[in-house]
Amino acid sequence: MIDRIIKNLFEFEAPDSLGTKIQLRAFEVFTFIYLMIYAWEWAFYIPRLSTVVLPLGLANYIDISFFFNNNISVYNAVLITLFSVYPLLIKKQRWLYAIAAFLFHLQYVARFSQGEIPHSANLVGFSILALGLGAVFFRDKSIRHQLIFAFGFILFYLGLGYTTAAFSKLIATGITWVDGKHLWLWVGEKHIDILSKYGEFQLNWLQELALSSKGIATSVLLFGLFSEFFGFMVWFKKFRWAEIVLLIGLHIGIDLTMNIFFAAFTYQLILMGFPWNRWINRLPSSQNLNKNEFLNHWILFK
Amino acid sequence: MKKEKKLMLIIFLISSILLATHEGEFWPFSIYPMFSQAGNPWSRGLVEDVQDSSRADLWDTKPLHVVEPRTLALKEYGIHEIDFANYISKTKVWDNTKLNGLRSTFQIDNYPGKMWMATRVVGHLTEQDSVVIEAIPMFLFTSDTTIKNPRLFPEELND
Repeated sequence: MIDRIIKNLFEFEAPDSLGTKIQLRAFEVFTFIYLMIYAWEWAFYIPRLSTVVLPLGLANYIDISFFFNNNISVYNAVLITLFSVYPLLIKKQRWLYAIAAFLFHLQYVARFSQGEIPHSANLVGFSILALGLGAVFFRDKSIRHQLIFAFGFILFYLGLGYTTAAFSKLIATGITWVDGKHLWLWVGEKHIDILSKYGEFQLNWLQELALSSKGIATSVLLFGLFSEFFGFMVWFKKFRWAEIVLLIGLHIGIDLTMNIFFAAFTYQLILMGFPWNRWINRLPSSQNLNKNEFLNHWILFK
Repeated sequence: MKKEKKLMLIIFLISSILLATHEGEFWPFSIYPMFSQAGNPWSRGLVEDVQDSSRADLWDTKPLHVVEPRTLALKEYGIHEIDFANYISKTKVWDNTKLNGLRSTFQIDNYPGKMWMATRVVGHLTEQDSVVIEAIPMFLFTSDTTIKNPRLFPEELND
C-alpha cells in the first residue's frame, strides 16, 4: 500500500512535457507569491504586539517577543524575500528555500503568538518547506525532480490534514458532531467576529437557511465531515480530482456558513488537484512550445 | 522512488513526534483540531464605542442586540479582531502588563475624547437548543485612563 501511495504521489504523467513543466512551475510561483503576501503582511503587524499569549512551534523554546516593538520582522521579511526570489528566478542554490522556510516559521510564530491558531497559511508553509526539502535532499537531481517531490509531499500532507481533521471531530465529539444545533452556535460565534471587525453583520442566504432548519444545518455539517474524512483520497491520482471538488465545496461552505475563506488554500487546491498538465499537453501547440529555448531557459526549466 | 519513500517516512515520523508533543500543532504541521469540540460554550470579544459613561447599565452584562449598534469596527483602527478576541477571552489574570498590552493594541492615546469598552462576548446552547449570546463589559479605555468593571474586579483599585 505504501508503495502504491508513493507511486501515486511522485509519478507524473509525461514528466518532460510542457504541461507538467507549467504545472510544477506555476506551483512554485504561486508559493512565492503567497509567501510574500503573508511574510510582508505579518512583518508590518508584528511590531504592534507586546506580549506572547500562546507560544507556537519554536516559540515554545525561544522567547519570540524579541520580534516585538522593533523592525526585526521587517528584516526577516527582507531575508525571506531574498532567499526565495533567488532560487525562483535564477534557479540555482535552491537550498535557500529551506532557510526561507525556517525564517517563515519564525515569522508565523511571532505573528500568531496572541492565542489564535489560524491554518489558512499552512499549505503555503508546507509548500516552502517542501521546496526546501526537495532542494536539499535531491540536490544532485534536476529541478523537475525536486519540484515533483515537493508537489507529492504537499499532496500527502494535504490529504492527511483533512482526514485527521475529520478524526479530531469524531474523537472529540463523536458522530453527533453533525448535529445542526452546533452549526447554529458557530454561526453565532462568527457573527461576533464579523461584527467586531466591520461594526455590522448580516446573515447570508445559507446562514438564514441553516438557522431556519436543523435538518439543513445537519446536512451542511454532514457534507463537511464526509469531504474531510476522504481527504486521503487525494493521494491517489484516480480519485484526486473528485476529492478536490468536494474539498473546494467544503471551503465554499465554510465561507458561506462561518465567514471563513481560506483563499490561498482553495486556490492551491485548484492549482494542484486537477490534471492541468494533461489538459495543457492536449493543446495543439504544446509540443512546439516545449522545444522553445527561451521559454525553457527563462520561464520554465530544462 | 526509494529515496522519496525513505524521506517521507522519516519526515512523517518527525512530524508525528512534534504533533504528539505540542498538542497537535507545530506549524505548518497540524492535526487541524478547530471546531472539533462541538456544542461547547464560546467566548469572543468586541469593543463598544461608549458615548455616555454615566449610563446606569454601563457595567451590566447585556444581550448582544443592546451592544450591537454601538460596536466599533476594529478594522478601521488596524486592530485584528481575532487577536483581540483571544486576548480578552483567554487572559486569566489581568495584571498591569496584560492591561497595558491591550491599551497598546488599541493605541487609544491617539484618539482623545474616545471611550472604548473592551467587551467579552459569550455564547452557549440552552436545553431548548437555542443560542444565547451575552456581552460582558470588562475595561473602559479613554486616552488617559483604564477603568476596570467594578463588578468583576471589586477588590482592585482602578488606574
